[in-house]
Amino acid sequence: MADQHLSPLEMRLAELSAFIDVPAAPPLASAVADRLRAEAGLRPSWRWPLPSVGRGTALAVAATLLLVSAVAAIGIALGGLRLIFNPESLPPLPSIPNQPGIGQQTTLDAARSSVGFVLRVPTVSALGEPDQVYVMEPPAGGAVTLVYGARPGYPLQPDRMYGLVLTQFRADIQAENFEKLIMEGVRITHTNVHGLPAYWVAGGEHFFFYRDATGQIVNTTLRLVGDTLIWEEDGVTHRVEGAPSLQAAIAVAESLEPAPSGE
Amino acid sequence: MYGWQEVEGRPLTDAELIEAARGGDVSAYEELVRRYQDLAYRTAFLVVRDAEEARDAAQEGFLSAHRALGRFRVGADFRPWLLRIVANAARNRRRSATRRAALALRAGRDPASGDAAPSPEAALLAAEQRATLMAAINSLREDDQLVIGLRWFAELGEAEMAEVLGRPRGTVKSRLSRAMARLREVLERLEEDLSDG
Repeated sequence: MADQHLSPLEMRLAELSAFIDVPAAPPLASAVADRLRAEAGLRPSWRWPLPSVGRGTALAVAATLLLVSAVAAIGIALGGLRLIFNPESLPPLPSIPNQPGIGQQTTLDAARSSVGFVLRVPTVSALGEPDQVYVMEPPAGGAVTLVYGARPGYPLQPDRMYGLVLTQFRADIQAENFEKLIMEGVRITHTNVHGLPAYWVAGGEHFFFYRDATGQIVNTTLRLVGDTLIWEEDGVTHRVEGAPSLQAAIAVAESLEPAPSGE
Repeated sequence: MYGWQEVEGRPLTDAELIEAARGGDVSAYEELVRRYQDLAYRTAFLVVRDAEEARDAAQEGFLSAHRALGRFRVGADFRPWLLRIVANAARNRRRSATRRAALALRAGRDPASGDAAPSPEAALLAAEQRATLMAAINSLREDDQLVIGLRWFAELGEAEMAEVLGRPRGTVKSRLSRAMARLREVLERLEEDLSDG
């Protein structure tokens, strides 16, 4: 921290650091190791009481697994996202590129400028630039959908017209909740993206809509047909659809970088 | 249980420990946690401002990082990668927290005990200046407090702050610059008020 170029204020802050009242770190190493050994079915080395780490996440996953077989539509929350399980049949909907429900087609640069969050794009080399970009508002802050055609490793499937779709929208706004309807037979895998809780929703039909502040469904037109990775980061919910595997979806997710300015 | 700390008289590198942990050796990962638990906890505390939440966030971060070890890029720096995961866990808790405590000064004597003892008057003046600076920091908006805290109280560099905040490095640099300007302004006002009073 010693730096001969520090300003007087910076020197005062550096000096203040030693006086800040931060509690001493607890013995995390043994607690983490015991948790890992317990998860691996090994005997813990010794006894630090496990705190409530991941309690919410664990409950959400447990609830997810239980609710898959529920008779009525029931939801759980993931950040601003809610997963809804509904055993009833849904009418077929056309595929994404023909749907008005994803907004107006625009350019990446215009989308970057128009939304109220940092738009990010995948940097995996196989994808390159998106073929189509859509923006939609509401929700407040906007939603952006990037559509990629067939790419190496991301082939077109018989039931869809794109290789991969990435959607981003603000989802930490309480007035508007996005919801995901999931049919029976969907498999949900708990995973993580850069350490953040994430869900891989695979193996069934599901579609997407959002509610306004009054709870009314205002749009149910966006049909999604690919296996989907969902996670929330910095208040923005992300969905990667159409990746051929969970590993490929995570590779896309963890490659996201802020969209460069086209100026 | 500490067999992973040294080989041939030298501590194992992070990369060696990561490789062993990827192979399922929990003791290797335990050593990694031991190396970074203080920094991870301090970073989490600066985000959530609550001792128990910080402990849970740091532990959750370490567990998440362990699950993600298979995707850690070989040769990359473990510390910023880990800090990003811990900070994500802390930010999730910060978002749902009902309140956060203000940063406070440690009670008791000057921790710089190696220095020659200052006169009572000088010690009192220094304490007053620290209290004023602390008050100025706590009067800033939370985003400014966080970026200043990460820089000066967790002693993170710009690249690590960018990882922790999930923002480009340039954005973090400008945010810190603006936060420092606002702090300077508030501090000058407070000190003028004190001298007038």
